[in-house]
Amino acid sequence: MTGNRRKPAAFRIDPAPARPKAAKTPAKRKPRALTVPEIQIEPEPDDGPLVPARQPATGVARAIRWASLLTSSLAALFTLWAGLAVTGLIENLFERSELLGWIGTGVLAVAAFALLAITIRELAGLFRLRKLETIQRDAARAVSGDDRSAAASVLAALRGIYAGRADTAWGLARLKDSLEDIIDPADRMRLIERDLMAGLDETAGRIIARSARRVALITAVTPVAALDILLVAQQNLKMLRAIAAAYGGRPGAFGTFRLARMVIGHLAVTGGLALSDNLIQQVIGKGLIGRLSSRFGEGAVNGILTARIGLAALDLCRPLPFITGAKPALGDFLREIVSFDKGDGKG
Amino acid sequence: MKFSGIFDETRIAFGSMADAASGIVSPKVRLGVTGLSRAGKTVFITALVHNLLHGGRLPLFNASAEGRITRTYLEPQPNDALPRFAYEDHIEALTGKDRRWPESTRRMSQLRLTIEYNAESLISRTTHGGRLHIDIIDYPGEWLLDLPLLDQTYEAWSADVLSASRKPPRSHHANEWHTHLQTLKPLDDADEADARMAAHLFTGFLATIREASVQPSTLAPGRFLMAGDLEGSPLLTFAPLDVPTGERAPAGSLWAMMERRYQSYVDRIARPFFYDHFARLDRQIVLVDVLNALNTGPEAVADLKAALTKVLGCFRLGGAGRLTGLFARKIDRILFAATKADLLHHDSHDRLENIMAEIVADASGRAEIAGARIDAAALAAIRATREAIVSQNGEDLPCIIGIPKAGEAIGKDKFDGIAEAAIFPGDLPDDATAAFDGSFTGALKFARFRPPETAPAKALQAHGCFPQIRLDRALEFLIGDQFA
Repeated sequence: MTGNRRKPAAFRIDPAPARPKAAKTPAKRKPRALTVPEIQIEPEPDDGPLVPARQPATGVARAIRWASLLTSSLAALFTLWAGLAVTGLIENLFERSELLGWIGTGVLAVAAFALLAITIRELAGLFRLRKLETIQRDAARAVSGDDRSAAASVLAALRGIYAGRADTAWGLARLKDSLEDIIDPADRMRLIERDLMAGLDETAGRIIARSARRVALITAVTPVAALDILLVAQQNLKMLRAIAAAYGGRPGAFGTFRLARMVIGHLAVTGGLALSDNLIQQVIGKGLIGRLSSRFGEGAVNGILTARIGLAALDLCRPLPFITGAKPALGDFLREIVSFDKGDGKG
Repeated sequence: MKFSGIFDETRIAFGSMADAASGIVSPKVRLGVTGLSRAGKTVFITALVHNLLHGGRLPLFNASAEGRITRTYLEPQPNDALPRFAYEDHIEALTGKDRRWPESTRRMSQLRLTIEYNAESLISRTTHGGRLHIDIIDYPGEWLLDLPLLDQTYEAWSADVLSASRKPPRSHHANEWHTHLQTLKPLDDADEADARMAAHLFTGFLATIREASVQPSTLAPGRFLMAGDLEGSPLLTFAPLDVPTGERAPAGSLWAMMERRYQSYVDRIARPFFYDHFARLDRQIVLVDVLNALNTGPEAVADLKAALTKVLGCFRLGGAGRLTGLFARKIDRILFAATKADLLHHDSHDRLENIMAEIVADASGRAEIAGARIDAAALAAIRATREAIVSQNGEDLPCIIGIPKAGEAIGKDKFDGIAEAAIFPGDLPDDATAAFDGSFTGALKFARFRPPETAPAKALQAHGCFPQIRLDRALEFLIGDQFA
């Protein structure tokens, strides 16, 4: 302790008013000069987070982004052309008849409004994704560093995100119950994980399983190769959106696109490890089913890939790192993928 | 402790096998509540039982928070020779009209708590259907100090006690006994009168240092202070002697007699106490009253450390393998808890935990090497205070509010046991080692509070449970894995 050490003090509380307040006879608390220990022991350096925060995607910094320069300038040209064309169109309309001109203006206004709304929604979606990332970082800090303020901000942010959702109402109510208790930050995160995340994890798991199965099925039955690529891509994007939505993100088109990019980056980082982990299962799945029918084999492989993408998305969107519960693994979905006979009814 | 005897090990092995066999159909956890006297064992057990019995709010205790516990009740304890833990009396004391903490424990008692829960695993469901017995033993903390005697010879013990008693502040209490000690000639023929006098004065010395409540490490042998039926028997009629090193006691001498009695004490009292109650524990919680030691001063903190290190050295720790666990039951989870954390604002709990970690450093290091899982927490089984910030002279002091016990005082403020007060107990040191070097003398004062008010009508209802700090976390760590 470097400053003045604070001496013990007592404050009487008047029994009459319900609200506790400081005493009328304040104990004298003279600041004393106390000998400072000569050796100030530095706090131990952190051993690094025990629960790894997600690695930020590493981009390669280039000197000049020629490609982006090209696209931006082309886009600017296109915007200019479009602006000119629309202005020309409206002017033309006014030349023909005033009424037509006003109608055109009105339609343009509606289009502009819609564009604005879409932009706002997209931005909000991106913002939400960013927020989930922030929460993840704070949560990792709360768990590993026992950081009280980080824990508090995680809790506040999560309550903001999940307020008003039916599937989280119960968990939020439970968390509110223990708000006043003295609980360590790491334990607080465990509570949140148990009360709030468990249900969402289940939802996300179901989404992944369903998508994986569907992708497997689509691959197996689609006659044209090009078509199945499109369908599979569409299914995957749909899954990404659904997972993000389950965890409180609301990605629009751009958000989904960004999420997809993050997922690819995430797979690139973690994919190697996961592959070696599950290689055997894959080989078995592929070998057995592949022997029965090459189409079904391809289906299984695609399904497994989809599940892997889904797991990566789950990693990215889940606001808390996995603390106590086991992280869902590919193996959890293998059975779902290869058993075509069982539909879950919800399609 | 080194278990020298094959006999002892065999006994433990047979006991463990019997436990393992019966554990399949009726699993039980022996929870060792370890703590020197006044560490809060009785209150901890009472609060634990009360919370479980009445479905207290324990958010971090998963089985309870998930609603998987269907029924909890007290059962007759397995050991017929022991009295039952006076749970109802303690609750009565805590919730009665004058709300006081239970009396200090004077005898051993046992309690079996049975929890029925929804079993998750198929094995649990088919074998015992989700029932868990928790056996807890309460005992006077003084007796715990007998454990280090198990592998100490009379001569070594004598030398230890004498050297400790010749150092201040103990030496102030030992004058009379030391004077008598000078007159004794260990090598001369034994005289019962001398032995009785020496034992009497030695007991007096122990009693005074216990009253001063500073130096727990030299309170052994524990039965001297709580003799019960054994009072006056030769088992308790011995005392340390100044004996020459490297020699053997001549037959018939006072030395030989004392040595024999010491050995009988160890064999007849200390050893059975250990083997019957501590040798086959599954889980252990070590309660450490750090705050009281800090109140008293750095010597007390150092002494607490010495005493706990000696005592904890006796336990059988280690991760239990599935097969080895069959023969050699070991403590595989051990929680070090700094009790009475409610005497501090929660801002300071981390520092409290650090100081405690320093006190139990040896023991926890050993446990870790042995493969046991360890955890540390600042804990209040019954939380007697709430928290507040008091602004004074432009400074915010994190305070606790409660009703201090009558007679407690901080500075010039004396408390009457009726009025509420906000207390700022001082800042704990950032650096745990400062608690040992004396730089904090006088800078801390932890007042004791009366038990919290729970409306008597509500005391037995589900939500009338005692508030607690981290009791749920302790439970989760100690027995949470049993609810599979």
